Amino acid sequence: MIVEAKSLHKRFRDVVAVESLDFQVQAGECYGLVGPNGAGKTTTMKMVYCLNRPTSGELRVFGLDVNREQRRIKARLGVVPQENNLDPDLSTCRNLQVYARYFGMAKQESLEKCRELLEFMELGDRAGSPIPALSGGMKRRLVIARALVNSPDLLILDEPTTGLDPQVRHLIWDRLLDLKEHGITLILTTHYMEEAQKLCDRVMIMDRSRAVDEGSPVRLIRQHVSPYVLELRADRSLAADIQARFRGLEHQTSGQNLYFYGDSPSEFDDLLSTYPDMERLLRPSSLEDVFLKLTGREIRR
Amino acid sequence: MSEGIISITPAFARVWKRNAQVYLTLWKFNIFPALAEPVLFIFVFGLGIGSYIDEMEGVPYLDFVAPGILAIAAIMQATFECTYGSYFRMRMQNTFEGIISTPISAGEVGMAEIVWGATRGLVTSSLVLLLMVAIGVFDSWTTLLLPLITFLAAFNFAAIGIIVTSRIAQMEYFHFYFAGFVLPAQFLCGTFFPVSRFPDAVQVIAWIIPLTSFVDIMRSLTLDRVSASLAPELLWALGSTLVLTEIAVRSMHRRLVE
Repeated sequence: MIVEAKSLHKRFRDVVAVESLDFQVQAGECYGLVGPNGAGKTTTMKMVYCLNRPTSGELRVFGLDVNREQRRIKARLGVVPQENNLDPDLSTCRNLQVYARYFGMAKQESLEKCRELLEFMELGDRAGSPIPALSGGMKRRLVIARALVNSPDLLILDEPTTGLDPQVRHLIWDRLLDLKEHGITLILTTHYMEEAQKLCDRVMIMDRSRAVDEGSPVRLIRQHVSPYVLELRADRSLAADIQARFRGLEHQTSGQNLYFYGDSPSEFDDLLSTYPDMERLLRPSSLEDVFLKLTGREIRR
Repeated sequence: MSEGIISITPAFARVWKRNAQVYLTLWKFNIFPALAEPVLFIFVFGLGIGSYIDEMEGVPYLDFVAPGILAIAAIMQATFECTYGSYFRMRMQNTFEGIISTPISAGEVGMAEIVWGATRGLVTSSLVLLLMVAIGVFDSWTTLLLPLITFLAAFNFAAIGIIVTSRIAQMEYFHFYFAGFVLPAQFLCGTFFPVSRFPDAVQVIAWIIPLTSFVDIMRSLTLDRVSASLAPELLWALGSTLVLTEIAVRSMHRRLVE
């Protein structure tokens, strides 16, 4: 067992950030935390990497108590924080070397590791670049490379691909899957359900400081939503009209969008032939549908 | 687990090295501007105003004021480094968060920042000292002991700086710290004229600020007036530095690990 949390609570003064959280992360798996902003994902991760202290409950990482063994835990962790925190005054390679020194690595060893990791994240030709000269995608890759200097057993990534272009995102996904293949355990948060579905063996959906459900993406989809979704765009009067006629079909509305759920595409045949000219999208359901069903469609305040 | 000085391991030196490395990459920007104020003080007070003053406490004014200028150079460097410098690393660059995600503890980051601030104070004041020796201000062998005291003085103010930095919610609070403490301390602590010139109440305040003790010890060294009466001052200089460092390290821990 890599991480084990039992009735974990975290309060900041009078704000409850995490409440009654129970979860376990097994060795070698990729575990995802998803949920609206403010759901408690980052706080949960920060407790794992010992930057936030649990208010109550039990949290063990590598079997070690986070309240007592921070140094031993952190020595085996790699952390990719939500905000890049590279040293802007040091070059790409120096950033890695300075970070390696925090782990007590010798200079020669860290230089070799730095070369290897820059190659791995496809930054090999950027070793001497100043940080401000790097693009957003390069900086993010460098932060991931930095998190690997100590050859961690557990890699923690807080929104690793937010704001990146599709090419970089795919590269990062490939690398994370490589790492997983080499037996490294991953915990990540993301707002992209596609990412969670692609990378994670299991996902915990959080909302309002609590876990709403947990399981493999496939199981969550099967359990919470029908296999097919029909998305329609309709103004209010048309939407009311459709809803009145097809009361029998399970549906949700969000702004000008109507979502119908069904076990097979043929369930929508009647509806589609009644409104042949409507803008429509028929697709298999995804983790995003589960997410929106469980956490609702309204914006969090 | 304790979070004070007792929990600090030698690993803090790795953070000190990081600061030194950045400092050396930017050395041109760091070294020369820091010398402007002390050099100006030597000219304005030592040579300028000093030419109108026959003697102060029985010595030429430049000889009297030189230890004060040295001490100010040391504490100002340490203060800037451990206020704006540290705050910038902590809040704008999130450097500290990156460091404490490794086996380095938050207290060690605080300690490294203090020792680094003290180091910068030592570097700047030593350059000023060399300049003073070059223009013939000091002739006693006890001058050799000055860097030790300037380092301690810088250490003391670095610790106060970290206490402030780790407790403020926004950078603008530094305005109060500089206007309400750092600036008055520069002039109140026997740097430019003896503390005995003040009313009793002000003298008490001046002696509470450790800078007064540091300046007096330094002046005793340069004027060859070392005596046993310095013992309480030395004790206060060392004791306050230790206590302030303990508070600063704990305070930084509370700030970084919520």
